[in-house]
Amino acid sequence: MASRGGGRGCGRGQLTFNVEAVGIGKGDALPPPTLQPSPLFPPLEFRPVPLPSGEEGEYVLALKQELRGAMRQLPYFIRPAVPKRDVERYSDKYQMSGPIDNAIDWNPDWRRLPRELKIRVRKLQKERTTIILPKRPLKTTEDKEETIQKLETLEKKEEEVTSEEDEEKEEEEEKEEEEEEEYDEEEHEEETDYIMSYFDNGEDFGGDSDDNMDEAIY
Amino acid sequence: MTQAEIKLCSLLLQEHFGEIVEKIGVHLIRTGGQPLRVIAHDTGTSLDQVKKALCVLIQHNLVIHQVHKRGVVEYEAQCSRVLRMLRYPRYIYTAKTLYSDTGELIVEELLLNGKMTMSAVVKKVADRLTETMEDGKTMDYAEVSNTFVRLVDTHFVQRCPLVPATENSDTGPPPPAPTLVINEKDMYLVPKLSLIGKGKRRRSSDEDATGEPKAKRPKQTTDNKEPIPDDGIYWQANLDRFHQHFRDQAIVSAVANRMDQTSSEIVRTMLRMSEVTTPSGAPFTQPLSSNEIFRSLPVGYNISKQVLDQYLTLLADDPLEFVGKSGDSGGGMYVINLHKALGSLATATLESVVQERFGSRCARIFRLVLQKKHLEQKQVEDFAMIPAKEAKDMLYKMLSENFISLQEIPKTPDHAPSRTFYLYTVSILSAARMLLHRCYKSVANLIERRQFETKENKRLLEKSQRVEAIIASMQATGAEEAQLQEIEEMITAPERQQLETLKRNVNKLDACEIQVDETIFLLESYIESTMKRQ
Repeated sequence: MASRGGGRGCGRGQLTFNVEAVGIGKGDALPPPTLQPSPLFPPLEFRPVPLPSGEEGEYVLALKQELRGAMRQLPYFIRPAVPKRDVERYSDKYQMSGPIDNAIDWNPDWRRLPRELKIRVRKLQKERTTIILPKRPLKTTEDKEETIQKLETLEKKEEEVTSEEDEEKEEEEEKEEEEEEEYDEEEHEEETDYIMSYFDNGEDFGGDSDDNMDEAIY
Repeated sequence: MTQAEIKLCSLLLQEHFGEIVEKIGVHLIRTGGQPLRVIAHDTGTSLDQVKKALCVLIQHNLVIHQVHKRGVVEYEAQCSRVLRMLRYPRYIYTAKTLYSDTGELIVEELLLNGKMTMSAVVKKVADRLTETMEDGKTMDYAEVSNTFVRLVDTHFVQRCPLVPATENSDTGPPPPAPTLVINEKDMYLVPKLSLIGKGKRRRSSDEDATGEPKAKRPKQTTDNKEPIPDDGIYWQANLDRFHQHFRDQAIVSAVANRMDQTSSEIVRTMLRMSEVTTPSGAPFTQPLSSNEIFRSLPVGYNISKQVLDQYLTLLADDPLEFVGKSGDSGGGMYVINLHKALGSLATATLESVVQERFGSRCARIFRLVLQKKHLEQKQVEDFAMIPAKEAKDMLYKMLSENFISLQEIPKTPDHAPSRTFYLYTVSILSAARMLLHRCYKSVANLIERRQFETKENKRLLEKSQRVEAIIASMQATGAEEAQLQEIEEMITAPERQQLETLKRNVNKLDACEIQVDETIFLLESYIESTMKRQ
């Protein structure tokens, strides 16, 4: 505090220590104060030394690039979910762009991991009703099953006895859980006198005539 | 964890595992141990995604899990392990030099998959090797197993911690997460497996359009329901051992540069003899007698015992003190001062950086201050024989970049500035830390620039890939020269030029990353060794 009052009047501002000790002699001009942050890319005074080249360097370089590419292909590389496009498209149903239910593609040893990390995959039956998987050939019999059931339930609704409805719903559920297809089909067929797949309600009558132009239409 | 390290970790995770894993990983590195729900809530990602990411991270030994009280499982990230991902190519190359292609592929598979069982590794590597062999030849599992066992014997591959065998299953519900333990003795114990088989080549006829053959093959492999004999025993690459090997290499080449080939061979022999006896953090190796060294020299070297003794004396007297004499029994007991060697290497790195950044006169001042430990301003000018103004300028430049620091020595108890000595000094530890931080920043910059360059030219890269695919398929179906020419011309000459430039730049940036990583390794080893001694 005493020195500050005494230092006034000199050419340069007084500092708290003897500047000669640090090497700034009397009367030396100090560099101008910096009023802005240093430039982002300061000019290089010395060129950098060239990189080592040679067989080893090139091999390691190639290895590095290969590794990078390989890791992108492994199942450990998790891609964010493809964002939904603006309009829902028909083909979306048939493209399975990721593992079912966000489960992982690889099989870790679950004994070593905490239990909470296991993602439960929903059971197959529910998937059948929500997502139509592209395994069409395997599913034809099951689809027939469903259409038979649907037709039946639609018909039955007209005449209904509630107990029958309940029975059918129960049977549907049972069927979904246990997948005993043949047994159920026979049971349903016993209830009605007619084989459902032969039923033709006459709506397609007019459409068939385009197939054979030879036959005359009566 | 400094900001630079976190940024580098984030870039590495994103490049190798994708954005979701990166987000979770960086969050864990920043905030420390957290349970699952907190992670999901703080990062705003769905629980399923967090679970997936954590599975990947744990598989690759980047995150560990611990059960805390009340059954909460906490996950903690290992930042330093994430930074090791930069060094993977070097590990694989080292394995190649030591154990040829088989070793290289084993280490590569282990690094890419985090941890694997021995049988899985052997099978995969045999398949990969068979692919590259000529038609009709296959790789035998036995050979791959042998190389694997050799890798384990020299500690390059080690066992992962095991799930403890639960004898009493009636102590209530199983814990939410297993606590993995590993016994020192068991770490390198190879289970007795008889892996018989040969590598399978993926034949081109199987890659036909009908998916049927491919669908059949997986079913066949699951049909053999034999239990895997080494189920539950996982192996991982032992990075510390690789680091030891790099350190030894650095010391040997330093001795070769300073003295001559023979002395470096002697040092190499000494290091080899103490590989398994010296613990990894030790400041110096176990003492070795001159007779033992003489017996263990490589077969091609016939130098007489006297010449060996002379070399050893020379090495021990060298001011760098790589080799020290610890006794006289057995013809002279010699040790290698690992800590001092690392210190010299780190110092050499610092000097080289100062020289390349500021010029050789600055380097002279730097070496002077290093040698004399503490110097005043005036003394620096005198000893370095550099005019005062320039010396001042250089000192301040180095001071501002923190290579040199100021030490105050007060003459009076009130620390009055006019009566205080200000001495310039170099603290190697803090300068090394500062340089390491800069290295992390540099690598992050290099990666970012490379990604930027690739993104800029993405369209062009995709086009060239498509053209290559077309050419390949046309060549496979036998096309004429003229047609191939036409397809190749789809890429115009300036575009080709652009692609060339891009390739050159990306290669250069990649090579820079590898080079900076070597510096990072030296500095990290030195800092670690110093911290262990304190």
